[in-house]
Amino acid sequence: MSMRGLTVFIADIRNCRVRELEEKRINKEMANIRSKFKEGNLNGYQKKKYVCKLLYMYILGWDIDFGHMEAVNLIASTKYSEKQIGYLAVTLLFHENSDLVRLVVNSIKKDLDDMNEIYNCLALHAIANIGGREMAETLALDVHRLLISPTSRSFVQKKAALTMLRLFRKHPDVIPATDWADRVIALMDEYDLGVALSVTTLVMAFAQTFPEEYKGCYVKALQRLKRILIDRDFSLDYIYYKVPTPWLQVKCLRLLQYYPPPEDAAVRNEINELLQVIVNNSQDTPKNVQHNNAQNAVLFEAINLAIHLDSNSQICMQAAVLLGRFISSKETNVRYLGLETMAHLAACADSLEPIKKHQETIIMSLRDKDISVRRRGLDLLYSMCDTSNSKVIISELLRYLQIADYTLREEMVLKIAILTEKFATAYSWYVDIILQLISTAGDHVGEEVWFRVVQIVTNNEDLQEYAAKTVLNYLRSPQYNETMIKVGGYILGEFGHLIANSSGCSPIEQFTAVHSKFSLCSLQTRALLLTTYVKFVNLFPEIKSQVLTVFNQYRHVLDSELQQRACEYMAISTLPTDDMLQTVCEEMPPFPERESTLVIKLNQKQGDTEDKRVWVIGGKEANLERRESMKARMSSIDSISTPTSFTAPEPRPATTTNGNSHMMSAEPDLLGLDDLSISTPNNVQLSSNDVPTPGFEPGYHKLQRAAEGVLFEDMHLQIGLKSEYHGHLGRLALYFGNKTGATLQNFTTQIDSTEALTVISPTPVANVVEARSQVQQLLNIECNEFFRESPGLRISYTSQATGPQRLFIKLPVVLTKFMEPIQSMDGNSFFQRWKQIGGAPRESQVVFKSGSQSGISIESVRNILDGYRFGLLDDVDPNPSNFVGAGVVHGGKAGKVGALLRLEPNMEQHMYRLTVRTTSEIVSEELRIILERSLTYDA
Amino acid sequence: MISAFFIYNQKGEVLISRLYRHDLKRSVADIFRIQVISNTDVRSPIITLGSTSFFHVRHENLYIVAVTKWNANSALVFEFCYRVINIGRAYFGKFDEEAVKNNFVVIYELLDEILDFGYPQNSETDTLKMYITTEVVKSERAVEDSSKITIQATGATSWRRSDIKYRKNEAFIDVIESVNLLISNTGTVLRADVSGQILMRAYLSGTPECKFGLNDKLLLDKDAVTKSNPLRRPNAVEIDDCQFHQCVKLGKFDSDRTISFIPPDGEFELMRYRTTENVNLPFKVHPVVNEIGRTRVEYKINVKANFSPKLYAHNVVLKIPTPLNSAKVEVKVGAGGKAKYAPAENCIIWKIPRFQGQSEFTLSGEAELSAMTHKKAWSRPPIAMDFQVLMFTSSGLLVRFLKVFEKSGYQSVKWVRYMTKAGSYQIRF
Repeated sequence: MSMRGLTVFIADIRNCRVRELEEKRINKEMANIRSKFKEGNLNGYQKKKYVCKLLYMYILGWDIDFGHMEAVNLIASTKYSEKQIGYLAVTLLFHENSDLVRLVVNSIKKDLDDMNEIYNCLALHAIANIGGREMAETLALDVHRLLISPTSRSFVQKKAALTMLRLFRKHPDVIPATDWADRVIALMDEYDLGVALSVTTLVMAFAQTFPEEYKGCYVKALQRLKRILIDRDFSLDYIYYKVPTPWLQVKCLRLLQYYPPPEDAAVRNEINELLQVIVNNSQDTPKNVQHNNAQNAVLFEAINLAIHLDSNSQICMQAAVLLGRFISSKETNVRYLGLETMAHLAACADSLEPIKKHQETIIMSLRDKDISVRRRGLDLLYSMCDTSNSKVIISELLRYLQIADYTLREEMVLKIAILTEKFATAYSWYVDIILQLISTAGDHVGEEVWFRVVQIVTNNEDLQEYAAKTVLNYLRSPQYNETMIKVGGYILGEFGHLIANSSGCSPIEQFTAVHSKFSLCSLQTRALLLTTYVKFVNLFPEIKSQVLTVFNQYRHVLDSELQQRACEYMAISTLPTDDMLQTVCEEMPPFPERESTLVIKLNQKQGDTEDKRVWVIGGKEANLERRESMKARMSSIDSISTPTSFTAPEPRPATTTNGNSHMMSAEPDLLGLDDLSISTPNNVQLSSNDVPTPGFEPGYHKLQRAAEGVLFEDMHLQIGLKSEYHGHLGRLALYFGNKTGATLQNFTTQIDSTEALTVISPTPVANVVEARSQVQQLLNIECNEFFRESPGLRISYTSQATGPQRLFIKLPVVLTKFMEPIQSMDGNSFFQRWKQIGGAPRESQVVFKSGSQSGISIESVRNILDGYRFGLLDDVDPNPSNFVGAGVVHGGKAGKVGALLRLEPNMEQHMYRLTVRTTSEIVSEELRIILERSLTYDA
Repeated sequence: MISAFFIYNQKGEVLISRLYRHDLKRSVADIFRIQVISNTDVRSPIITLGSTSFFHVRHENLYIVAVTKWNANSALVFEFCYRVINIGRAYFGKFDEEAVKNNFVVIYELLDEILDFGYPQNSETDTLKMYITTEVVKSERAVEDSSKITIQATGATSWRRSDIKYRKNEAFIDVIESVNLLISNTGTVLRADVSGQILMRAYLSGTPECKFGLNDKLLLDKDAVTKSNPLRRPNAVEIDDCQFHQCVKLGKFDSDRTISFIPPDGEFELMRYRTTENVNLPFKVHPVVNEIGRTRVEYKINVKANFSPKLYAHNVVLKIPTPLNSAKVEVKVGAGGKAKYAPAENCIIWKIPRFQGQSEFTLSGEAELSAMTHKKAWSRPPIAMDFQVLMFTSSGLLVRFLKVFEKSGYQSVKWVRYMTKAGSYQIRF
């Protein structure tokens, strides 16, 4: 085997002091080898020697573009040493797409067929290393034959399994894995643990892609685990520090996690038994580090499996206790794994209680000396956060943010922002925390965070004043923080007028607070601030002169963006009339509803890995959606029914939304914009999409039952309404009365019109409403489908008395408006129909308490039902105090739907039972909702 | 300005490290080693990483590196680096790794003197030699000399002492030109220029005032105008740009194009110049290289000397590249010199020790190629040529006169020598 020429050459190269000398030596050697190869007539030894030299040069990084043929020839040699060098050269010099691979395929095939196992192994090695598509196509069958052949030696089988794995990973479409399922799964029973281990690894890859075809492996893995753990049937060579073949155990446990929990109770018990054995084995910590590692590896995988099967089981409880011990362990790796597994538990378990016990320790782990442990700690805190501990965790995270590692900060900021938004219980708290976050995190706050703050503040009216005040305070503090200035600039520009009357917040003070930081900011921020200033001009004409000075100054800056803004704003502000300025600076409309950008950003950060992980970082709801899609993929074996089926989030009436429902309800978009569930005492859900102007409800509800009346009234404007309905058509007249002494200008209205409910205004409303006068607008309404949402009416105007104003109110157009009462129906026909329709889902029933203090008044109930256009049928119900009504809903294209109603008041308890039966589920529910609300509050 | 100055050897070990400002750490030396010395593909002598710029010059087996955090004048920085090399040569004879290692104390002393807070100071060898010596200094003498040193270092002619005396007053002038040439494979000249330097060795007593004249076109035309002679001299040389030693009075040069100066004692570079027009190429090369199929390349190279037959060229070497996959190369030359294949450099080296003017030589050869896995076309790099021709200037430049005026009015002897050598002299084929 020794080659003197090679040794001398390597020594020469090593002695070269500088690169140039090495290059010269290499060039010389290459020229020599070229001339030798050119001459031909080399014996095997010489060929081997020269190929070795070329390989050495190749390893040093030089280009080798000859000698491949000699390497291929060496493979065909009968001597082992030459064949070996040939294969070595081929695996090093060839890549999967090179044309020369074709030359070797035949030799490799011959070696695979050879009786000599050593040659088989060399060939398998080469296939695994090169692994091109062509090779996979031609040789996969041979590899498979070697794998399943009963005559193959175990070490050949091992290599064959791993070679197959490599080919499958590279070209999954070439390998007919599904056809081989039975034979390959059968090999998992192989007595030789080495073969079993390699085959299990292969099956893990197959099973992830073809779960259905490979479902047989579930039982096999279980049996194998049982043999190892309970029967203790294993060869002694595979005991690693007293743990029997930990690798195989880990792989089997992991394989089990790729499938949904089994339905068969016997199988479940068996698994539980195995897990119990593993947990029992791990009760004490061995002294030996290796032993400990092996034991923990098995244990952690077992815990993961336990969580996967049933996160509320007894074993999980035990595991939680064990994990609690691990996360305070001295060993970094154990702490890391402990935290990670606990995050898994938090992601799946219903109750976070066992984890919360360790909250202190977990928070301490943020101060761990190892950054990866800190990361896991952060993930876990993020996952385990809920309403009860959110304040503690968020304040702890905020404190930690100041000293956190720079690489961690951006992610932390995102997570804190999401948690704050998700668990906010009060406006002020949200604003305080998020602004504190921005001010401490400084440059690590991504753009998304402050965009989000602005969105939320804009969409929640109650937040605006407080936010403006707090932001102003932050701006006054001497530190400089670019993101804070951006938020401040935007919020003050939009909502500065809300606080302008408070002391210390006068327009000029706001302006100086912002402008003092102006010169420190980047160009982009300055551009934003210029926009703020022009809004100031609009909001506070008194500081116009100061602002104009700034514009004037910036008309001459070099940056074209700033210059353009300054010039344009200057021009707008100095126009003879303010019309333009007012239109341009109109208050921003609420942002449309969309998925939280923060969550999108965070998800981008957690790229999926090769392994098809069964859970993601985050709370339970983050995992639900994922599991759902997994289920869909793995269509059956023993799939259990989905534990929670979630309904699309709909606006629910206040009474059904109880105290804590927003917390654990499994809405996939809990972090979505419309669910910033800031729980006010009576927990009114804010629909942040459109924030209706306060005070619209009384008129809205009253006119649902009446044909005419005052819809809305404030200090400046009164809106009256008259209506008539025939079948699915309706006509509305709106009267806008100007109560002020000033003219309302730019008066515009805009009415939502949907497919289900078209609202057409034949003539646009007049643009100007003179002082103390009225304008009229006619609307034609057509109901095409059964609808739920009343159309919105947006009004905007400007007047000297009030400045620009925007109103958003709802028109009292509900489904009952398109109902015709039926007065003539006798008891028999009523109950006949009543029974025809039958119970749920076409029946909608609710039991609820009357809202009025004085008890139920029969008269007002009768009026309400009448107002909602139900035909009241007397003497139909055996109990005279019960109300029975009937009507027909004209749904336009959706056709007519008969509606029957029964209302049973309980005078003593102040309770009602309301039952609505119609031939359409939607109508039943909608009518029930409308009546329920009205009876609760208006009766 | 210059924040730090380093000298490395070829392996990248720091031999000299001097920081002048606090804006850099000593570890910046590692960055240069990693980015430049270990990097195989360095194209620019200036590398800017972040806000730090590294200027480097290679000399012998050294890297001379100046580092700055500022937007420094790069010409000045490079001038400084070359100055360091010249000072080193004047002090130690040769400026290489060994000299640096043996004299590092003196080098640090010199660096302290010639650069202050990153600003270059007096870097005149003569002056420096007065107070930075390599010999033992007796203390009395040092006291006595110190006033002289001050006078000279701050005086009008800081480069020359006043009390120089020679028995025989002599001045030697060497005009050395390097020719750069690049000819395309069709025979058109892509680039031809001459960069020359005029070196002077002055052994003159007192403070002599010298006047120096060349056949510079501008100067001659000016003369012609003043003498109202409309004829233009045909052998006048147009000099594109030139730069002078600091002793030359630039005011006078600007006003009437005369080069007048008080020379430093000993050897110095009086001026440097460059010409791009009417370059006389000393050699014509006519290469014929044919690739026959994929396995053979035939060479036929003809070289002709283009200067007067009375002159000789020395050390003529041609490097003729061979394909990277040459397996066997055979060459034949007639009477002219020796040629052999050098596989280490992938070329044929043809050496002609003595080459008479107007003569010509031919080389014929053949390279056999081996098969390649990836068929890469041969890039056909150019033939490179090296030579020296005495008493010949490619630009045609001649020294017309050198006059020496001194108060004592002594007679002086002047010698002039010309030499042309190859710069990058390349012929594509």
